[in-house]
Amino acid sequence: MVQQQSLVGSFVSHATDHPGDTALVWHGEETTYRELHRLAERERVRIARLAPGGDEPLGIVAAKSPSAIALVLACLLEGRRFLLLPTPTREGRTSDALVERACILHVLSPESPQAPGPAPGPAPGPSERPSTADRPGEPKAPHRTEPADVSFMFTTSGSTGRPKVVPLSTGAVDRFTTWAGERFGIRRGTTVLNYAPLTFDLCLLDIWTTLRFGGRVVLVDPARATHPGHLLDLVSRHEVRLVQAVPMFYRLLLDATAGSGRRLDTVAHVVFTGDSMPARCLAELPHLFPEARLYNVYGCTETNDSFLHEVDGTEPTDGPVPIGRPLPGVHAVIVGADGGILTGPGSGELHVATPFQTDGYLEREQDADRFATHHHEGRTRRYFRSGDLVRRDRDGRITLEGRNDHQVKVRGVRVNTHEVEQVLLDHPDVVEAAVVAVPDPVAGRLLRSVVRRAPDSRLNSLALRRHCAQRLPLTAVPSALLIVDDPLPRTSTGKIDRTPLQHACSPAQPTEGTAT
Amino acid sequence: MKHAAAVTQFIIEEFLPDVGANELDVDYDLVDGGVIDSLGLLKTIAWIEDRFDLRVEEFDLDPDSFRSVGSISGFIERAQQHGTDSP
Repeated sequence: MVQQQSLVGSFVSHATDHPGDTALVWHGEETTYRELHRLAERERVRIARLAPGGDEPLGIVAAKSPSAIALVLACLLEGRRFLLLPTPTREGRTSDALVERACILHVLSPESPQAPGPAPGPAPGPSERPSTADRPGEPKAPHRTEPADVSFMFTTSGSTGRPKVVPLSTGAVDRFTTWAGERFGIRRGTTVLNYAPLTFDLCLLDIWTTLRFGGRVVLVDPARATHPGHLLDLVSRHEVRLVQAVPMFYRLLLDATAGSGRRLDTVAHVVFTGDSMPARCLAELPHLFPEARLYNVYGCTETNDSFLHEVDGTEPTDGPVPIGRPLPGVHAVIVGADGGILTGPGSGELHVATPFQTDGYLEREQDADRFATHHHEGRTRRYFRSGDLVRRDRDGRITLEGRNDHQVKVRGVRVNTHEVEQVLLDHPDVVEAAVVAVPDPVAGRLLRSVVRRAPDSRLNSLALRRHCAQRLPLTAVPSALLIVDDPLPRTSTGKIDRTPLQHACSPAQPTEGTAT
Repeated sequence: MKHAAAVTQFIIEEFLPDVGANELDVDYDLVDGGVIDSLGLLKTIAWIEDRFDLRVEEFDLDPDSFRSVGSISGFIERAQQHGTDSP
């Protein structure tokens, strides 16, 4: 036994010791650790053939599937860093620019999944026998890596075509998965629901921690992620023990089960993250998950999870759920308006330093205003500036109050409303644009916008939506798009006044948001 | 595509209130065009179930069935067909 095994080392050990254990459940089909390991070894051969040697990152088209997970494992086995790319749209936007900026020479899609079949043992598949490395029983050992070597590379969910690339070191990922495995008791046989797409850092907990410790991951197909009946069926049929998802997931389930008395008894841990949980939703959760402990987890792609609050009944009924206290090894300071570090209760911007954080963006010039060095409690550390405004109460508990910029979370994705406005203004027929986030009973928060078109313009929302869809991820395309011919209201200082827009838009919501 | 007119009217009322029915082509790609995202899909399914008294099974759901007015209309027809075929 090797001490302190890495993520991929632990996975290989489990595949060797318990090959018949289920690793993944996808569309009702189970993939064992042996099958997943074989798929990964096969992909490893392909990587060595297609992209030999080099140090440059590989691109992975990360449409969720067991094959895509095998491809990630293959990169880990080969010690190659890799960028998880969103599935290209039909027009192939965003990814191309990203690939170029990350100096990626090879973009790999997972091999077609029909490959391995369940037949283990000495007889190889009848049609092909690619190499000895593909044979079970004698796979190559994982490539040696140092803790500082980069493995996963995520993109932050920027709302324009320039997301930032966040490289994470092997050491950071190993430290995080160690924490998560211990905190939520993930071990052999533990069943965990994976709701987020593969490109989200949330997968470090629900997929990668689980595979490190020999658990079973039930994968939600993103195409069905808004169908509560399907989600409820997955959780109960597969006896899921840990659920991690954005608040919208819980809202969907609660709406679909309201008054039915339905209970998901197998769930022991409910983690909500990525957005603020409405108090009403929180109050209903214990009815659906009567056996579960509930946690609000706060983190950013750059730092990974940083704060945790376990729900204990002391939460305010009229405000956001606290993000709680820093995780072990996490250091956080609150920087006041004067730039000084707050020592007692008060409000300011949250700066966080975690054992799991990135050393900086791939493009170093992007670091400048996002990281800060502070000397605090006798040590100098590099902190990530979260951009979140927080309040610390007398007990040391921290609660989010808002953003210090134009950033909002829409269904777990960080969107900058200012950038969306800029995209609207890029349309030649648009003279003024305002975008606000408004509450929505299902989605949590949606973007609404008002646009003034040029005189004599025939611009309609069909054309403007297309313009947005070509330049923004779908979550950043405003759900409501109102085109007007009158000037937008302005404040006394001449800025667009978004306050009436925020209120004018809200009353329309309840009738539109009652889809379930 | 006997339901195309009803589907067009729904899409326009729900997502494109300033657009005329004759401006929305039945083959227009509503996903690439930024008209329908995953929440829009949810609303559309709820409408289909309500309006046509159909139960849309989770497992029938191919996102490509909802890319255009034409494909949504075809989906409804197939679902109705399926419903009357069943004993």
